[in-house]
Amino acid sequence: MATTSKRELLPGTLDMLVLKTLTVQPMHGYGIAQELQRRSREVIRVEEGSLYPALQRMRQKGWIAAEWRQTPNNQRARYYTITRAGRRQLGEQEAGFADLVSAIQQVLGSA
Amino acid sequence: MREWLMRLRDWMRRDRLDAELDEELAFHRAQLERDAVAAGATTDEAAWTARRRLGNTRRVKGDSRARWAIPALDQFAQDVRYAVRGLRRSPGLTAGVVITLALGLGANTAMFGVVDRLLFRAPALLRDPDTAHRVYGFRTRRGTEEVGGVDQYARYRDIERWTHSFSAVAGFAPRELVVGTGDDAREMRVAVVSPSFFGFFEAPPVLGRYFTEAESKPGEAPVAVLSHGMWQTHYGGRHDVVGTALQIGSATYTIIGVAPRGFVGLWEERPPAAFISLTDYAANESKVGGAVWTTYSWGWMSTIVRRKPNVTLAAANADLTNALVRSYEAERLEDPSAPPLAATRPHAVAGSIIEQRGPRSSSDTKVATWVGGVSVIVLLISCANVANLLLARALRRRREIALRVALGVTRRRLLGQLLTESIVLAALGGVVGLGVAHWGGAALRAFLLEKNEAPAGIFDARTVWFAAAAALVVGLLTGLAPLVQATRAQLTSDLRAGARDGSYRSSHTRTALLIGQAALSATLLVGAMLFVRSLRNVEQFRLGYDTDPVLIVGMNARGVALDSARMVALRHRLLDAAKSVPGVESASLQSSVPFWNTRSYQLFVEGIDSVARLGRFRYNSVSPEHFATLGTRVLRGRGVTDEDTPTSPPVMVVSEAMGRALWPGRDPIGQCVRLRFPTAPCRRVVGVTENIQQEDLGEDPGYYYHLPAAQASPQVGGLFVRARGDGRGLRETVRVRLQREMPGAAYVTVTPFSEIVGSEKRSWRLGATMFTAFGALALVIAAVGFYSVIAYDVAQRSHELSVRVALGARARDITRVVVEQGVRFAVAGIALGLGIALLGAQRLQPLLFKQSATDPSVYAGVGVILLVAAIAACVAPARRAVRADPSIALRAD
Repeated sequence: MATTSKRELLPGTLDMLVLKTLTVQPMHGYGIAQELQRRSREVIRVEEGSLYPALQRMRQKGWIAAEWRQTPNNQRARYYTITRAGRRQLGEQEAGFADLVSAIQQVLGSA
Repeated sequence: MREWLMRLRDWMRRDRLDAELDEELAFHRAQLERDAVAAGATTDEAAWTARRRLGNTRRVKGDSRARWAIPALDQFAQDVRYAVRGLRRSPGLTAGVVITLALGLGANTAMFGVVDRLLFRAPALLRDPDTAHRVYGFRTRRGTEEVGGVDQYARYRDIERWTHSFSAVAGFAPRELVVGTGDDAREMRVAVVSPSFFGFFEAPPVLGRYFTEAESKPGEAPVAVLSHGMWQTHYGGRHDVVGTALQIGSATYTIIGVAPRGFVGLWEERPPAAFISLTDYAANESKVGGAVWTTYSWGWMSTIVRRKPNVTLAAANADLTNALVRSYEAERLEDPSAPPLAATRPHAVAGSIIEQRGPRSSSDTKVATWVGGVSVIVLLISCANVANLLLARALRRRREIALRVALGVTRRRLLGQLLTESIVLAALGGVVGLGVAHWGGAALRAFLLEKNEAPAGIFDARTVWFAAAAALVVGLLTGLAPLVQATRAQLTSDLRAGARDGSYRSSHTRTALLIGQAALSATLLVGAMLFVRSLRNVEQFRLGYDTDPVLIVGMNARGVALDSARMVALRHRLLDAAKSVPGVESASLQSSVPFWNTRSYQLFVEGIDSVARLGRFRYNSVSPEHFATLGTRVLRGRGVTDEDTPTSPPVMVVSEAMGRALWPGRDPIGQCVRLRFPTAPCRRVVGVTENIQQEDLGEDPGYYYHLPAAQASPQVGGLFVRARGDGRGLRETVRVRLQREMPGAAYVTVTPFSEIVGSEKRSWRLGATMFTAFGALALVIAAVGFYSVIAYDVAQRSHELSVRVALGARARDITRVVVEQGVRFAVAGIALGLGIALLGAQRLQPLLFKQSATDPSVYAGVGVILLVAAIAACVAPARRAVRADPSIALRAD
């Protein structure tokens, strides 16, 4: 069932989701993809490769920081950490998104 | 902004970022495969699942890479690489261009350092330089307006009291005072300032404090602030220096503080050793006594003001003038004989805080401005030269460029590349030029900022910025001509004919550049020759005495009271001591020094109503060795001898001009002159000397006579000491030896005569040296330009010339064709340049010494020099053309 009801992401929400994911702990790209799937109960499915350009963009904007570390299995992986600017950005995006959702629901509800 | 900095950083490490992304994706894929295998898939299935979930990795990489790509920068880097490759292929041209630009840029960078210091830079640590001004007064005397009249203490106080436009008013006077006692006593720069002076600067003391208004009132104990340099060199930076005593001039000061490093007041060229207050200085060093505070007759200081933020300069000037008029009225109350205000018409302005930039600018400043302009011309010449070379190169590359356009390179890209090339060249030239500026700058500063004790810093930030900006402008300028050429590229004809010789055509731009170069060089050479001749006139000008080997010894009793007899004895002891110093040739007594001070008596001569009406007659009381010591020639009769004693008949030795003025047509020897009173005993003329120049070079020498020191004021004055060779080397030895003879706190000063007269000659020497250096530089650059352009033309015309040879032209004919062309350009340029020089001659005239700025022989000489240089530059290419085998050139098609 889960596999049949997969949804494309709304445009512009990937950043917010990634940032939110990173508030828990620093993660590598694979970890972020896993966590997104797990938290959305398999509903949200991104093409996992597309995470990487987004991560680079956010790094350049200063929202996240990247660092090479060893995984628990002793492999080398790049871990991303959310920065203070990233948390601020996340707050703004969340508020904006909430406004948008409630507006959409009002339109849908009034129809 | 931050994001762009990040992008720039990423751009610089883009290769590493690519590799890291690959590694990251490989890790991700490995994890996905591991998951799939764990879920029971086969290896192949796992690989397929992983690839599906990861998506199109090529697009992922492409999108990521776009994050650290900056296309414009990539393009620029590529252009730079391309330019460097191209330049490396023609090392001769590159070296020529870089050297030419380095000379031009180096000369300008070095000059900028000097001109900036003289004309533009604000004094170090000065707070808000825009509102800090020096007060310049103007008054009219005998019908002509002159600068001055605001240099009294009373005037300074009046300005402070009667103006309201200023938040601060300060007075100051730089002085040379003897600091220390005994053998340690040295003449040093001491800044005499009001307490408010320190507030003009951002310079809190590093130790102790500055003096206050309360401390600088008449009657208070004298206090001093040490400069940082003095504190370091004389006290080793010790902190217990505060509270100790220091002898400055004739008083003992208590040290209360130390100024910070780099605080030199307004005297960067000669930083003060200490700061003392106006009141302490006036009380201890002035000869006017208690009147110091109120008198308008002792002018000795300057005033600076700090304009309030909302006061315009015009309002400030009006306010100052108002105060000055009131002050002049006050002066009339004190001294009713002072001329009325209707005649003096005083007014004041708030001008530049640096005196040399104010209404009384020095001749050094003027010469520096000229030399600065000259260095810009040199740069223009080198620019023209480089533009010409690059243009030649662009012409040679016509075919290559046409080919690239045909292959689809956009014009914009093409122009970008050409411009990059010239900017790379200019940057190289700028870097080498900084080196030139460093070595040449040391010499330049030694000339222009003589006596400069400030640390040499040709590479301060401003100068480097200037060099960078100049290099960029030069890069754009020199790139312009080839650019225009490239945009005119005719695709089909260029491709077909290519750079082949059949299509030789002359370029008007290049001709114009060549003629412009020759013209500017001609102008500079005229300037150089005028200055050199002027300097020769200065050097050959007979002063009536030698200066280089001579030292002047002055005495300062500093509180030690000596009666006449003991003074005479002391002077003779000093004379003997001076003669005993090894390296001293002779020494003599003097009572005055030309160019420094003068003495005169009223004279009475039979048959002349008023001798004074004939002019000024100055005298010097000298001992017998005087004429040998100074090198003054005795033309007739004798000089002063040992036979002239207080009891022998009174005698005098007159200058040639004096003899002619007093006894025209008669022999002065044996004539009688009475000094001071018409009834004084008759003083007989026993000798005639050459004329003695007393002040300003080039002015009428005036009338001069020598008296035996034994017969006239034997207790007054100092010594002349003549060294073998240059006197400056013996300065300190003589001073130390003579100081031992001085009683108590009294001290001697020793000054090279050449320093006093030399400063008069300096601006002429300066102009001559600089113009010659730059003129020679311009000549070399222009000759190289001629050579390269003619050589290039000959190469271009080799086809045409070969046809001529094949048709029977002889070597002489070919040479003539080539040289004729060069000479035509040269003549046009020279004519233009000499014309420009004639136009500028009038403005140069005041800087020349007994030399007409329109001297035809100078102009003719320059014309000949340039013509010879042009012909020389044409000869080598002409010979190459003659030697070329016509069959090769003809077959090359």
